[in-house]
Amino acid sequence: MKLLVVEDDEATGSYIARGLREEGQTVDLVVSGRDALLLATSNTYDVLIVDRMIPDVDGMTLVKTLRGAGNQTPVLFLTSLGSVEDRIDGLNAGGDDYLTKPFVFGELSARVAALARRPQVVVHETSLDVGDLHMDLLTRKVNRAGRNIDLLPREFALLEHLVRRKGRIQTRTMLLESVWDISFDPKTNLVETHISRLRTKVDKPFTTKLIKTVRGAGYRIDA
Amino acid sequence: MTHQLPVLLRSMPFRLALLLVALFAAISLLSFGATYVMAVRSIDQSMQNDLRQDMTGFRAAPSAAALAALVEAEASVTDPQRLVLSFISGDGRSFGNSILARDEDGYRLISLEDGNAQIQGTYLTLTDTLWGGQLTIARNRQDVEALRDAYWRIFALSLFPTIILGFSGALYFASRSARQVSEIGAALDLMTKGDLNARVMPRSNWSADLAGIGGKVDLLAQAQEASVATIKQVSSDIAHDLKTPLQRVGVHLNDLKHQTELSSEATDLIEKARLELDDMALVFVSLLQIAQIESGSARAQFAPLDLDALAGDFCELYEFSAADSGRTLSFVGMGETVMVDGDRTLLGQVLANLIENAIRHTPKGSDIVASVSQVNRRVTLAVTDNGTGIPASEHDLVLRRLYRRDQSRTTPGSGLGLSLVTSIAKLHNANVILSDATPGLRVQIVFESNNPNHLMGRRNKREAGYFEQRTSRKEVLDGEHRDIS
Repeated sequence: MKLLVVEDDEATGSYIARGLREEGQTVDLVVSGRDALLLATSNTYDVLIVDRMIPDVDGMTLVKTLRGAGNQTPVLFLTSLGSVEDRIDGLNAGGDDYLTKPFVFGELSARVAALARRPQVVVHETSLDVGDLHMDLLTRKVNRAGRNIDLLPREFALLEHLVRRKGRIQTRTMLLESVWDISFDPKTNLVETHISRLRTKVDKPFTTKLIKTVRGAGYRIDA
Repeated sequence: MTHQLPVLLRSMPFRLALLLVALFAAISLLSFGATYVMAVRSIDQSMQNDLRQDMTGFRAAPSAAALAALVEAEASVTDPQRLVLSFISGDGRSFGNSILARDEDGYRLISLEDGNAQIQGTYLTLTDTLWGGQLTIARNRQDVEALRDAYWRIFALSLFPTIILGFSGALYFASRSARQVSEIGAALDLMTKGDLNARVMPRSNWSADLAGIGGKVDLLAQAQEASVATIKQVSSDIAHDLKTPLQRVGVHLNDLKHQTELSSEATDLIEKARLELDDMALVFVSLLQIAQIESGSARAQFAPLDLDALAGDFCELYEFSAADSGRTLSFVGMGETVMVDGDRTLLGQVLANLIENAIRHTPKGSDIVASVSQVNRRVTLAVTDNGTGIPASEHDLVLRRLYRRDQSRTTPGSGLGLSLVTSIAKLHNANVILSDATPGLRVQIVFESNNPNHLMGRRNKREAGYFEQRTSRKEVLDGEHRDIS
């Protein structure tokens, strides 16, 4: 993946760039909006990581300008302003996701990966499979290796979210946002307890464990 | 409109117009009165002249007998209702068409023709002694009385349209200015609620004084908006300037952790420092959020939401965590939609804070109940536990910023949770009430003004809602924005 990072704080910028490069991504790092505009219009990137407050051209204006010029590259905003209004402003300007500072790298990496692989068209499947697990989206029934698994509605939603994104890391906050529609970070380990309940139903009776914990980042489902 | 009528009647333009009508009526009455008195005086004057002239005529009689004959002759062709002639001669005989009698009630005229009937009416009399007898001539003042009636009628006729016109004019001007006043009031209400975009914008047909006030209100709002924008800019600058170093410390800690030769003590220290950093960020974010909420601008994003469903969702979310920590969490809802105008994220934070507080500050084995209830239009969200509770003397203190009870110093938390709850409640026009649940603590969020138009029918089975997951946060936010733009 080719990524552009626009961050005026040197320490944060190089931390992001180094982390992403360690993951094998190609990263261009610039400190000003003007440089970012130049690079983004002359290259093709998979994702733009843009700080809201940068010199010359601020992040909002940069993304608005790019969108105005027909550039649809997914944008992840980095923001110091965490209020709902600020987030809405950012998303209205053409941003696709946001991350409030201070953040941990795992969160950033997972969100960038999710943006880059965002499906262009929503496919309406009627069933989902991962390994020997089968989910029927119409009857809301789940079975694994021919054995029925009873799930509560929210457990079904959580499992569906993970299976739809199999192989990709989903962080705690990403799960809270998508499954529970919660955009703030509760201080209780809510996601952990829900995942653990899901595991006792989906993984415990079987030898192969499908739901994997990615240390310091989140969860992933894999066959 | 009818319930506004009393307000209209008490309004200034109406009172002014009414005062003018009353003043006009009083002046008309005075001038009519003066004209009437003058007219009566002149009629009386001419009647007195007539009487004197009549008397002079009778004085010309050469003897008592001639006078009596003259009086009789005159009286025979004169109606006593108009002119009374009475001559009582020296030997006591009466001539004329009436006798002027006198008793304790005053004078009375007795007719000599119609069986001594008493003659009614007001008369102007002149009496003189002639030829040893007494001659009385009296003229009826009925013309004067007719004049008085005519004057009253003219006065009433001329005043009636004035009063009607004045009254309707007063109502018209009162309602006209009431509209302008209510437009100013509506703009001020919006500003009070935090919408500093609100403007009166007086139109050219407004009365000059109200337009002047409206214009000044607009100027005030404009200045206020500018200063709030400055404060916002300053706080976002501070946010940026402080969060960036926090982020940097995190980066440095991360770098340090990746150095190869580190003792396990050093790794532990790094982890501790990282946790402290998280707490710092949490306090900072909370303080910033409280300030932002108190600016009131988040009201612009308000949309009707189902508080019953929201509270149910949060209880479901926290149920397992509560169970893992040895407490039970249950939800008692209305089983139907309970709509309030609000921000889903902020009200979610209220629920999260109250539930987390209850889990954190109760002994193991405690029961926590979240509930939503509605009585008439008043919606109450409550979280009740049967733990050790908080003494009533500390109820006000725990709502203060950064206040931590001695007993809670060892448990994690910033001391900002309840003040965040209070500021969010205030933003939603709701009150936070702490009370003793004997035993335990009950925290109630009482929504004072709930729009009844939002109350809808019974919700479909709750389970149905669980699958209507919105696929991404972005879509939700986009949707919200479309509503407000």
